[in-house]
Amino acid sequence: MLARDKFFTIIITIVIALIAILALFPLFSLMISSLRPSSELMRNGITLSIPFEQLNFSNYTYIFTEAGNYWSWYINSILISAASIILCLFFSSMVGYALAVYEFKGNRFIFILVLLILMVPFEILMLPLYQLMVGLQMIDTYLAVILPMMVAPIAVFFFRQYASGLPKDLMESARMDGCTEYGIFFRIMAPLMLPSFAAMAILQGLSSWNNFLWPLVVLRSNTMFTLPVGLATLLTPYGNNYDILIAGSVMTILPVVILFLFFQRYFIEGLTVGGVKG
Amino acid sequence: MKKRSLYVMLFSMLFVILAACGKGGGGGGGDGSEDAEGAEAVEVIGSESKDATELKFWTFNALHIDIYKDAVSRWNEEFPDRPIKLKAEAYPYDNMHNNLLLALQSGTGAPDIVDIELGRFPNYLQGEPQLLPMNEYVEPVKDKFIESRFDIYSKDGKNYGLPTHVGATVAYYNKEIMDAAGVDIDSIQTWDDYVAAGKKVVENTDATMTTLETNDYWSYWPLIKQQGSDFFDENGEVTISNETNVETLEFMRSLIYDEKIAEITPGGGHHEEEYYGFMNDGGAASVIMPLWYMGRFTDYMPDLKGKMVIRPMPKWTEDGNRSAGAGGTGTAVTNQTEHPELAKEFLAYAKLSEEGNIALWRVMGFDPPMWTVWEKPEIREDNKYYQYFGTDIFDTLLSIREEIDSINITEKNPLVQEQLSTNVFNNVLRSQSQSAEEALKEAEAAIKNN
Amino acid sequence: MSERAVSTTDSSRSKRSIKDFFLSRKVVPYVFVSPFIISFLLLFLYPLISGFIMSFQTILPGQTTFVGASNYERILNPTFFKALSNTTVYVILTTVILTILPMILATMLNSKFVRFSNVFRASLFIPALTSTIVAGVVFRLMFGESEASLANTVVGFFGIEPLEWKFGAATGMFLMVLLATWKWLGVNILYFMAGLANVPRELYEAAEMDGAGIIHKFRHITLPMLKPITVYVVTITIIAGFRMYEESYVFWPEGSPGNIGLTIVGYIYQQGFRMNDLGFGAAIGVVLMLIIFIISILQLALSGTLKKGE
Repeated sequence: MLARDKFFTIIITIVIALIAILALFPLFSLMISSLRPSSELMRNGITLSIPFEQLNFSNYTYIFTEAGNYWSWYINSILISAASIILCLFFSSMVGYALAVYEFKGNRFIFILVLLILMVPFEILMLPLYQLMVGLQMIDTYLAVILPMMVAPIAVFFFRQYASGLPKDLMESARMDGCTEYGIFFRIMAPLMLPSFAAMAILQGLSSWNNFLWPLVVLRSNTMFTLPVGLATLLTPYGNNYDILIAGSVMTILPVVILFLFFQRYFIEGLTVGGVKG
Repeated sequence: MKKRSLYVMLFSMLFVILAACGKGGGGGGGDGSEDAEGAEAVEVIGSESKDATELKFWTFNALHIDIYKDAVSRWNEEFPDRPIKLKAEAYPYDNMHNNLLLALQSGTGAPDIVDIELGRFPNYLQGEPQLLPMNEYVEPVKDKFIESRFDIYSKDGKNYGLPTHVGATVAYYNKEIMDAAGVDIDSIQTWDDYVAAGKKVVENTDATMTTLETNDYWSYWPLIKQQGSDFFDENGEVTISNETNVETLEFMRSLIYDEKIAEITPGGGHHEEEYYGFMNDGGAASVIMPLWYMGRFTDYMPDLKGKMVIRPMPKWTEDGNRSAGAGGTGTAVTNQTEHPELAKEFLAYAKLSEEGNIALWRVMGFDPPMWTVWEKPEIREDNKYYQYFGTDIFDTLLSIREEIDSINITEKNPLVQEQLSTNVFNNVLRSQSQSAEEALKEAEAAIKNN
Repeated sequence: MSERAVSTTDSSRSKRSIKDFFLSRKVVPYVFVSPFIISFLLLFLYPLISGFIMSFQTILPGQTTFVGASNYERILNPTFFKALSNTTVYVILTTVILTILPMILATMLNSKFVRFSNVFRASLFIPALTSTIVAGVVFRLMFGESEASLANTVVGFFGIEPLEWKFGAATGMFLMVLLATWKWLGVNILYFMAGLANVPRELYEAAEMDGAGIIHKFRHITLPMLKPITVYVVTITIIAGFRMYEESYVFWPEGSPGNIGLTIVGYIYQQGFRMNDLGFGAAIGVVLMLIIFIISILQLALSGTLKKGE
């Protein structure tokens, strides 16, 4: 290795390491804070020095023993996210795929519609959508949260970009072999798209896991809340429950981080292979 | 083929998940046990018997649930033939009011009984109020109440909301700091005295005399109300930039920058964690807030126990008022309830009865709107507020009873609150980019144009 | 699903023709996009049209009246312009920062110079896993105004007086952009790394043969090859920027001093719900939608994404 290269290696590694530390720092301090008594935290906020003598696990013991509905929120969040991921991947991949590989009347129009949905601020749809959910008698059910996420424009966009990079000659030879168009998608193309499924599963899962505004509006009973909504109820101007809030926040991030680290390889692969084309 | 079975599997998983929906909402909840380690966000209170009528209650302050916990248990004892089960849920302030709006707007999803904060109440009086009038219960007892507390939740002669407290504004002094500064608290009678005392505090201690809010209006509204002014006059005309209001705001500015005895509240308001920490550590010698603020002291500023005393506000003129009513929560029955009569009767029982009003004090430390109970012996029973602030709270309150003018509320109050807390206080008190008059004139224009 | 529907039709003749119909190359694409069409009509077009109608109404319980374009006339007020300018500044800052920074970092991570590239990539991505609500709690606690707060300790090292982070226009914007950058940097890095993986190594090797330097290679190979992914990243960042609300909400849940944190969506929320003026809120929403639509279409058209046969 050249001396110059070695120099670059050191500099760049240091720069990136610094940025990585900065990126992790807030979460690190959140974890430290979760071990501090909430009264202390309220008084001084997050400080640079760590008051070791104050640290203990009482906030976690509290969550595990008497945190009211915290665990219902947890289960709700898991179920809703799982269902959203599965439905969204299934439908969005079909749509994105069709937009990418077929030339048909309305193709471009539908693609523009997809982008349009991406652009519309959710707030103006909220009241009518809410009334629709009322009409469908879905208020305070999981379905009300899941339904609007079923065909996510951003996923359709991504799948379209991904599928347009797939080799078209595979389709031709499959047709020669008498495979139906559906067969082509489900047996040949979808498996080829699997990496992109992994990537979208993570991104959709994240947006569902962290979704705040909509569940807040359609979920009514405390036992049906998702984690972000439930945690926000602890954050009222009339009494912040920092003990549960901070420790509870750490517990929301932990499983996602573990899942991510576990599936990281597939995720990166999904974004990479074939790649996103403009 | 393999891949297809994958999809089938995913789908069956999905149905399992969705099938689970119906069952959701079982479990959880509380049993109304009394160990109350701080209020829970949701509770089912009251009779376990199957024929108990379930009423749903929303509030934006989990602590309010305790009021109804108390009322339900009394009700079920008194009327064993009509037991009630109250399902109480607390949401964040903003979200509860918005969800209520959506629910009332679309005709479904609202609870039976709901707490609505004064600043938002006018929103629910617009158009045809989707709340049930409570007149039949209010009228017989009206003269025993500080009557103006009903007016703020009324429209066209119909009373929709029942008040939770009087909101008498008082001065909270930190006796330790005042003593260290060499000030006799009872010698502070007028605002001039207050400023003079403040100078001594600043000179002789590390503390500042007081803090002024910029993201809320409790440091301002009581002060102008004290002088008979308000944001609107009796006819609902905007008066926000009248002379008194401009002068009062200018007075607040001068407390910070000329007299240097006040600071902008850390965090911007008296409900911010920054302020609780600051005050708890002896950052300020006093604060002007309504009586309902007591609970914040007992809950968030434990170190000040025994050090704080409550006195009337300083007055502007010799015979000026020494208090003003501020803030409030109106509790209402929505028109979506399936048990309108029961809900109304229960609400009246909780809020309009003598026991109910005593409970407002006992449980929450609120100054009960039914003034006839202020002298009752039950009110004098020891509780955590007396332990914290001393035993003379109701003596102070009784001495200012005739001086508590209430506020005028119109549909545009939410707008006023928004203008004051985003622009006016920030520009005049914090950044000093506008004079009091400019800022209030601009706010008035914005309110009129909306 | 459609496949199953096909295979369970019984009568053999109709089965034939229906099957043929659903199998024809003309029809298949429509079957594929049908979930989208259905959800578009039900969950989007219907609410959108209702929203559009609402923008011409004053909506009060039991008293909905048409008021013509008066909601739109009211939009041109100082508060709206404040919200618009805040949002525009935010969009510009986040788009620039969240395109350039991740691009450079991705190129670094992808280069042969970095060890433990996987570890860094993961660490940079982890903030994206946090909900904005939770992130906001941490940021609020870090950027307190007291001297002891973490942020003020840090600026203190540089001899700067403690700042009231949440109360100044510049620092307020800084907080929002910082939160967004922190949260989305890792995601965009991954997008760019995905794009970089498709750049053939030979291109670099050939350039190196010609003695090209790092900067030269970045400008003449990396940048052009990253164009498609850049378009994607820029598009979603712009759109997300215009729709931003939560980043502001976590710092100022009840409205910000001098409206320094007011975004257009925040304004919709404030007027529509807090002020009970749903019609006006809807009108602002329609205007916002037009703005986003025009900018995105312009942006996509300029970059050629909407051309046929991509």
